[in-house]
Amino acid sequence: MSLKYGILGLLTERPLHGYEVKIRFESLLGGSWEVNIGQVYTTLQRLERDGLIEADGERGDRGKLAYRLTQTGRRALQDWLSRPESEPQQLREEIYVKLLLSTRLADGSLDQLLAAQRRVYLQRLKDLSELEVRARRDGRDDLVLLFKGAILHTEADLKWTDACAEEIRNSNQKGKEAS
Amino acid sequence: MTRLVEMTEVRKVYDGGAEHPALNGVALGIDRGEFVAVMGPSGSGKSTLLNLIAGLDRPTSGRVVVDGRDLGRAGEAELARYRRDRVGFVFQFFNLLGSLTVLENVMVPAQLAGRSRAAARGRAQELLQKLGIADQAHRYPARLSGGQQQRAAIARALVNQPLLLLADEPTGALDTRSGEQVMDLLVDLNRGGQTVLLVTHDAKLATRYARRVVSLIDGRVADDVVLQPSAAQPADVVRIRVEEAAG
Repeated sequence: MSLKYGILGLLTERPLHGYEVKIRFESLLGGSWEVNIGQVYTTLQRLERDGLIEADGERGDRGKLAYRLTQTGRRALQDWLSRPESEPQQLREEIYVKLLLSTRLADGSLDQLLAAQRRVYLQRLKDLSELEVRARRDGRDDLVLLFKGAILHTEADLKWTDACAEEIRNSNQKGKEAS
Repeated sequence: MTRLVEMTEVRKVYDGGAEHPALNGVALGIDRGEFVAVMGPSGSGKSTLLNLIAGLDRPTSGRVVVDGRDLGRAGEAELARYRRDRVGFVFQFFNLLGSLTVLENVMVPAQLAGRSRAAARGRAQELLQKLGIADQAHRYPARLSGGQQQRAAIARALVNQPLLLLADEPTGALDTRSGEQVMDLLVDLNRGGQTVLLVTHDAKLATRYARRVVSLIDGRVADDVVLQPSAAQPADVVRIRVEEAAG
């Protein structure tokens, strides 16, 4: 997700300075990311340059400058919020790369890799369920949705490792029958 | 903890299915007090495994020993007694008797086990109270919600204080909320010392409630793992990638 629209979104509530943006981001996402403060400042400067935000009054306490959304910024945010995501799916996890490389090495380690990966996914499912329960208890319905999404992704990951394992079993079986 | 269930080299072949045994060399031990989930896709052997532990069927070869009793060698009468006194069943579709009230449903296994009507009634009432459906005792199952019917079925499963509570997709016919309540109830019972064996195809259900997850694939134990209790912070589990805007 882009920091740009994240910042525009936060500024709809009230003007904020850089450090407040960082803190709000982190609590918005229940600590599920850490934002680099340097990145926040750079992005604020670009947004100001592009006319999407503007300084809210003078430099205050210890030289901190708060920003507010401009009309252009508000329109850009609305536009972004209403647009569905159509980027190609990102398979960022390294397991996909390991899988592609392991099938070429044919040293038989793929089974173990998949089995170990499957355990990671099982533990992750447990952890995510617990986070979902906690978020619900704390009244954070937005985070409940976030964790539900992560749970569904993990369930898909788990099914995928099972499908890989099945493919391997089937091809081993065929190999035996052929020999 | 002591061993309650010990399966060794268990094979189960149904008539005409020698090519594809339902269970093919399963070894599985369950200690008293454990909460174990057996997970796997349909056709993986979950139900067969459950039926063998429940004494509803016998292995083709290998041993299924529960509480020191070799179920493969037990006579029919002994197996029937074992099922009645030692095992509690909870099914996906409750399987309550529609012509009996909730209270009578819960009393049936106690009376079959030879308890007096008064003793059976006392025990049944106590369980309905504990499971939060005492006010439904004199109604017929069809009048209850799915969640209430499953509670009644759990009360019936517990009436003879079974060594082992077997739950086969117990939330399969329930909405999310009722399903969670039923599972929380099983967790509470387990905290009180009840050994629970949950069978499900649902990985989320298995990992959320059971400490130990056994995965069956093609009649074999593909994995058997004890999960860590979850104390994770959100950032340890999920992160959202932040990209700097270009330009």
